[in-house]
Amino acid sequence: MAQRQRIVYLVLAVVLGHVILISAQVNAGPRTSVLESFTFGLFAEMQRVLTSARDTVTGVWSRYVQLRDLQTENEILVGAVADLEYQLQEERALARRSVGLQKLLEFREGVELSTVSARVIAGDATPYFRTLTVDRGTVDGVYADAAVLAPKGVVGRVVGMPGRRASRVQLLIDRNAAAGARFERTRTTGVVMGGDDENLLRMEYVSNFEDVYVGDRIVTSGTDGIYPSGFNIGIVNHVQPGSGLYLDIRLDPMLEFSTLEEVLVVVSGGAIVTMNREGE
Amino acid sequence: MKNWVIVLVLAVALLVQTVMIRVVADGAVPVDLVLVVVVFTALFRGPVVGLWTGTVSGIFQDVLSGGIVGVSGLTKSVIGLLVGIVGAEFVVSTIWHRLAVLLAASVFHTLLFLGVHSLLGTMMPTSVISLVLVQAVSNALSGIISAALVWIVPVAVRRVRHRRTLLVRRNWIMG
Repeated sequence: MAQRQRIVYLVLAVVLGHVILISAQVNAGPRTSVLESFTFGLFAEMQRVLTSARDTVTGVWSRYVQLRDLQTENEILVGAVADLEYQLQEERALARRSVGLQKLLEFREGVELSTVSARVIAGDATPYFRTLTVDRGTVDGVYADAAVLAPKGVVGRVVGMPGRRASRVQLLIDRNAAAGARFERTRTTGVVMGGDDENLLRMEYVSNFEDVYVGDRIVTSGTDGIYPSGFNIGIVNHVQPGSGLYLDIRLDPMLEFSTLEEVLVVVSGGAIVTMNREGE
Repeated sequence: MKNWVIVLVLAVALLVQTVMIRVVADGAVPVDLVLVVVVFTALFRGPVVGLWTGTVSGIFQDVLSGGIVGVSGLTKSVIGLLVGIVGAEFVVSTIWHRLAVLLAASVFHTLLFLGVHSLLGTMMPTSVISLVLVQAVSNALSGIISAALVWIVPVAVRRVRHRRTLLVRRNWIMG
């Protein structure tokens, strides 16, 4: 009987402790506690070691496999390099012409973004959120809410206070993520939000009267103060009038988030930049 | 199962969950290895250890995932306690019984987790049923694989060793 009573008290204490812990965060907004930063830092180091070990093993294996077809691959590559050199010359000529045209049209040059490349060292600890851990932290100039980008488009933002040598990144497809966005064609603005497993991204607050088509490209608007303007977010794959004032718009993301290995983290102190529309 | 073994297994589960699952499953399978560890620990060690294992592992998971710290702690504590009580009150000795407990615990955990987040207004899931079912099946499968690794493989190795010893003895006697 005493044993059962002790268990009941223990359960009550644990539940009460959790409720107080949760309530403190909900009322005070997001903060980083000592426990949180210590645990995150410790696990980030372990994840870094494990990721390096995994990469070494896969690297050795892939190098062994690659060696077997090296001769054939080399011949193909020599041919490809020759083709690419020719293409490069063409591209350079085109670029020179573009620069001239750009000056002619007096396009403003975008502010140079200062970024550091970061390696993805871990995924999320739970199946419910979509976050990543990258191997760059405050030592490298990463700050809270810093935008994280990839060559094809926007990845997400740094959430919470980054650790010294690691940061947690909330992906744009997370249910709680959002970004200011606009249609590249019409310049109409809205908000892109994370969706569920079937519809990874959706766009909200676009009026039913707006001119939107499947295939329209969505880019960041820069109005949220986090993401620089003009970076790719996704392509419209579904549009229909919503039940209220706004259209029901779903997007295909430009990135394959599950295979991300390297990303760029903005470290310039949050400078909002404007890219040329053709400059992505 | 000693306490330090539980801590070690939880740490390994967290690392595998964050580093390896993403690579192996391409980030698409919503497995919760930590929940599997909590359920098995509670089954073997009872409600009190299940409660503590759930609390500690859940808080660590919250800290690592960037959600509100305490939500996973709360839900996993409840699961650890309930599974511990089930393990103490009923006979849950075969793998099928344990699998059924794991499935039920997984479904209840997902509903509880989403419920707490919905109350806090931080997460609005659109397809709850598919999420619950897919996760329950994923957890059950990972539970079977874990159980096979933890119980069946050592037993098989012991049998092979025993047979080899018998063969060596027979050869020694015959020779």
